[in-house]
Amino acid sequence: MTSQRFRLKLFLAHLWAMVSATAAAATPTVDFARDIAPIFEQHCIRCHQTVGKKGDLSLATVADLAANEYVVPGEPDDSYLLEVVTAATGERPQMPKEGPPLSEDKVALLRTWIAEGAYWPDSVVVREKSKADRSWWSLRPLDRSELPAAGIPADWAANPIDRFNYARLASANLRPNRPADRRALIRRVTYDLTGLPPTPEEIDAFVRDESPNAYETLVDRLLASPRYGEQWGRHWLDVVRFGESSGFEVNHVIDNAWPYRDYIIQSLNDDKPFDRLVIEHLAGDAVGAGDPAVEVGLTFLVCGPLDIVGNQDAVQAAQIRADTIDEIIRATGEAFLGLTVGCARCHDHKFDPISQQDYYQLYATFAGVYHADRIVATDDQKREQAKNLAPLELQKAKLVEERAAREKARENGKPPEELDPQIAEVDKRIAKLSTLPSLRVGRFEQPAEPQCVFERGDAQRKGEQVVPASLSTLAEVSMTYELPTDAPEQARRLALARWIVAADNPLTPRVLANRLWQHHFGTGIVGTPSDFGYMGEKPSHPELLDWLAARLLAEGWRLKPLHKLIVTSQTYRQSSAYRADAALADSDSRLLWRFPPRRLAAEEVRDTFLQIAGVLDGGRGGPGFRLYQYSRDNVATYTPLESFGPETYRRSVYHQNARASRVDVLSDFDAPDCAYSTSRRIRTTTPSQALALMNHSFTLGMATSFAERLKKEAGVDNSSAQIERAFQLGFGRAPDADEGQAASKLLEQHGLRAFCRALLNSSELIYLN
Amino acid sequence: MSITGNMARCIGDHVLSRRGFLADAFTGLAGIGLASLLSDDLFAAADTPPATWKPGLDVAQFPARAKRVLQIFCPGGASHMDLWDYKPSLARHHGEPLPGEEGAVTFQGKNGNLMRSPWPFAPAGESGKMISTLLPHVARHVDDIAFIHSMQSKTNTHGPGCVFMNTGSIFEGFPAAGAWIGYALGSENENLPAYVAIPDIRGEPPNGKANWSSGFLPAQHQGVVMAAQQPIRNLTLPAGVSTDEEQATREFLHFLNDKHAAANPGLSELQARINAYELAARMQLSAPVVSDLASEPAALVRLYGADDANPLKAAYARNCLLARRLLEQGVRYVNLYCASRASGVDGLLNWDAHKTLRADYDRHCPVFDQPTAALLTDLKQRGLLDETLVLWTTEFGRMPTHQADSTGRDHNPDGFTCWMMGAGVKGGVTIGATDEFGRRAQVDPVTVWDFYATALHILGIDHTRLTYYHNGLNRRLTDVHGNILHKLLAY
Repeated sequence: MTSQRFRLKLFLAHLWAMVSATAAAATPTVDFARDIAPIFEQHCIRCHQTVGKKGDLSLATVADLAANEYVVPGEPDDSYLLEVVTAATGERPQMPKEGPPLSEDKVALLRTWIAEGAYWPDSVVVREKSKADRSWWSLRPLDRSELPAAGIPADWAANPIDRFNYARLASANLRPNRPADRRALIRRVTYDLTGLPPTPEEIDAFVRDESPNAYETLVDRLLASPRYGEQWGRHWLDVVRFGESSGFEVNHVIDNAWPYRDYIIQSLNDDKPFDRLVIEHLAGDAVGAGDPAVEVGLTFLVCGPLDIVGNQDAVQAAQIRADTIDEIIRATGEAFLGLTVGCARCHDHKFDPISQQDYYQLYATFAGVYHADRIVATDDQKREQAKNLAPLELQKAKLVEERAAREKARENGKPPEELDPQIAEVDKRIAKLSTLPSLRVGRFEQPAEPQCVFERGDAQRKGEQVVPASLSTLAEVSMTYELPTDAPEQARRLALARWIVAADNPLTPRVLANRLWQHHFGTGIVGTPSDFGYMGEKPSHPELLDWLAARLLAEGWRLKPLHKLIVTSQTYRQSSAYRADAALADSDSRLLWRFPPRRLAAEEVRDTFLQIAGVLDGGRGGPGFRLYQYSRDNVATYTPLESFGPETYRRSVYHQNARASRVDVLSDFDAPDCAYSTSRRIRTTTPSQALALMNHSFTLGMATSFAERLKKEAGVDNSSAQIERAFQLGFGRAPDADEGQAASKLLEQHGLRAFCRALLNSSELIYLN
Repeated sequence: MSITGNMARCIGDHVLSRRGFLADAFTGLAGIGLASLLSDDLFAAADTPPATWKPGLDVAQFPARAKRVLQIFCPGGASHMDLWDYKPSLARHHGEPLPGEEGAVTFQGKNGNLMRSPWPFAPAGESGKMISTLLPHVARHVDDIAFIHSMQSKTNTHGPGCVFMNTGSIFEGFPAAGAWIGYALGSENENLPAYVAIPDIRGEPPNGKANWSSGFLPAQHQGVVMAAQQPIRNLTLPAGVSTDEEQATREFLHFLNDKHAAANPGLSELQARINAYELAARMQLSAPVVSDLASEPAALVRLYGADDANPLKAAYARNCLLARRLLEQGVRYVNLYCASRASGVDGLLNWDAHKTLRADYDRHCPVFDQPTAALLTDLKQRGLLDETLVLWTTEFGRMPTHQADSTGRDHNPDGFTCWMMGAGVKGGVTIGATDEFGRRAQVDPVTVWDFYATALHILGIDHTRLTYYHNGLNRRLTDVHGNILHKLLAY
């Protein structure tokens, strides 16, 4: 065989084109694209492709076939390809190695194809198919089918969400729990919408409120609270991997990214439509040039980790640049589309219909983005600034001149120092005027060259050219676009943003609706909120998800109406009581036969301590505070603080989160490192949490403040009132008799602080029903 | 171990899906790994015993030769041709251009000509392995060591390089090998963490905590930082709290938490939380004992050099002693650092000898050599080496040339040395080779993924089946790569 193959190779190159063309001239019965390509695609290409091939054979293109000697056009019996897929009776053919052997029909097709000249049009490239194709559930248009109606009791029929849930439960022979009591409900919804516990007074008022719309009033109050944006903004900051240090080796802290955090909080409080938010995130400079309140959205592009060490090796430097763009592509794909686009960097996505070309189309879109600070101001502002600055600078120049003159004539003139206060005053006024905001919003440059595919993700191996364009993934259901090679940089990002929020793009509203659901119920309808592809989970309530997504569009992409609809549903308001029979069928309560209990998130734990200790600083916005000591030479070091002043008593969302740093309590309770997008936090229970809450000085400080507060509010000597107040503040309820007794005993022996320290460590404080 | 099954099981009152069970179990029983979680014992009380599915089968694939791992890491890019990889051609061609790469531009800039190692090499052990005379103590162990001279890295930058060597990814956010192994096998000592990182007294390595991160694995798999100079964080009672008060507080807390857990069945995290508090209390007792070096005999202290006049050497020696004590107590993975991140001048605090190779390594080698050799000797004498896999790693090597206008060497990710010894490893062998100058891996190049595929194999784990779903993929320590280095296996 070897010698035969060798001989073939010698003349094959010469004869290939001629034989192939001659044979093809007679009307062939086999069509390559229709009959043969699917065989290669199904049985061969996974191993035999240009990238990641096993052995030395590729069956991807006609050139590959010409380069190997496996097929002799017109001569099936001399074609090695046919030999390996057929076998002597009773034996397994050599190929394919994995999966069933080719059927006789398929072998016959191959034989005919070779006999007819093995014609393979240049344009047909055989690609490995992803596991999911474009008919994958999340890529189909939103399903706008009827609401379930049959067999739904009246109190579960009013809110469409309840209809879907009741029907889903019924299909599993389950029924929902009874409504939660008011104490549990106000605690649940207050944490959910604001991240803080209700005060005892708020609980009391709600429990006593007899009006029929007491709960609705409560929900409206919470949604209108500025605390809402702080709580839900934190969820979004996780998704966009918002971090305030550069990461990698150098990891310098970044001091001008915080306006983005404030922008997110404010946008949520204002209920800014999400489609607008997306456009501001990707192309804020196109829709609000010079307006800091709009351009600040661009921080999204550049708030991921960045390697700034400065590599002199050109190959390494190019790869680092490619990694930087890759980071932006992945963040964008996951945050808005729930697609793991990054997997298509080196080859077509193995699971989802995202080609390598799609990936590099996005690369072309972001190729002009650079991580940098930039002064964001309108031309008018800049002119105004220059106008105001000019007389001051003139004044200063005169003063400095005068001072120099006096210095010269020191002996007999006026003392030069006399002018110093005046100079300082002018300096102060100049400094005040010079503060046009420099934001971490990136710098944009027109890419100098057309973008190419990087073969195997290697920036040195340039493949075919691509243009900025929409993903082929949604080509059948949504609008598409394709920009010219030299399209303006900004137009590329704007086109992508508009495509992401196009009315018929089914992914964006699905992904967003799912994120909302996830934070209300602990788990999304899709349990993998940033992966709606093949490797992600399938939806537990597909019709409900689509209904919510459609509703979001109908509400003009505003979130608050959807929040309200969800938290006023019976599904949300039911009790979290455990029922063994229901758990047998649905142990994780994914079908929502109860409200799933949850532990507070890291920020909620810390903010709760501050609030019940009575020391929470409710100040909003501005530069963040730090729970670490920052030191820097060529690299940065973050050392967690051992003692805390009131400057750290702000809500945790205002913490300046640095990458690869670890701070007590927040890191222990699973606050993410923001090295990458975190769509769903892991919830762990660890000894290090116990050590932090028992032994770290923060808890002890909070216990001390809590004790002070109790003395003030319940009387210095009235231990039973102190205990009562502490339970109300911490758990939203009065102590049971045995709890009161045990508490009094501890209090008597070791004082109020010991009792407060125990409460801060209690499970009830940090679990919600 | 794709945790995607949905096998409902009953354990006591709680009905849990397999996924839910594991999630709770991870969160609950810190220090206990997947393998033991999935062992039959745990399901002994289950009323539906597994029929065909064998718990733990996915994890332990091969007979385990090692039970635990000691990884010694010399950050800064320890020079292979000045320590382990003997290159006589360098001396012969000293001062000549590197053929084909004259004046190459690497990490810091332009390179000069070839530069011989300032130190002679000498044959060591029965194998006669040529080792730098800078390492006379470690040289005595060469007959137990399997050298890999053909390591390659993907990056020439310290931070990503260290993270790559520890996690298999140059990007932060991936779990370190110790986290993966803790996740798979848990700890043998329920009073101590499964994975301990011992940073050098000079500070953390480049990229700091990302080197012992649990990445996307549950947080309890992260390396717990502990060193002779630095106890476990928050381990001691806060000032002003007496042990009496502590005891009474814990009793009251226990009462509250028990009551709350009883009132909330179906939430196993609550019991897990009570257990975590108990484990924390036990750690408060056991961790100071394990890190108390006072009970070590004076002769052993001297052997390690823990009494040395050089404070850096004494500090590293104490950490070597601590490493042995942790391994002895059943800690699964100890990540011991010798040197730190760069700060100020290159090469001062770690192995990054850009400007003054001779002065730098004359400083670093005495710190490293005797304590490391003593640790290896001690492990061997106690029989611990039979069950412990030792890994020596650095993030990359150095150029055979000197940097333009200096007497140091620039970064070289294209060829460098790491080594293994101990359980499952054939001693006195050398795998792969760089070219005659040490510039590039030429024979049998080895990646970090091959390195860990082999380490996992020795631990009885199939590296392709130790997986965890994250952002679109079932992730692995070895990514989509990894060839087992059969040549260095002793079996």
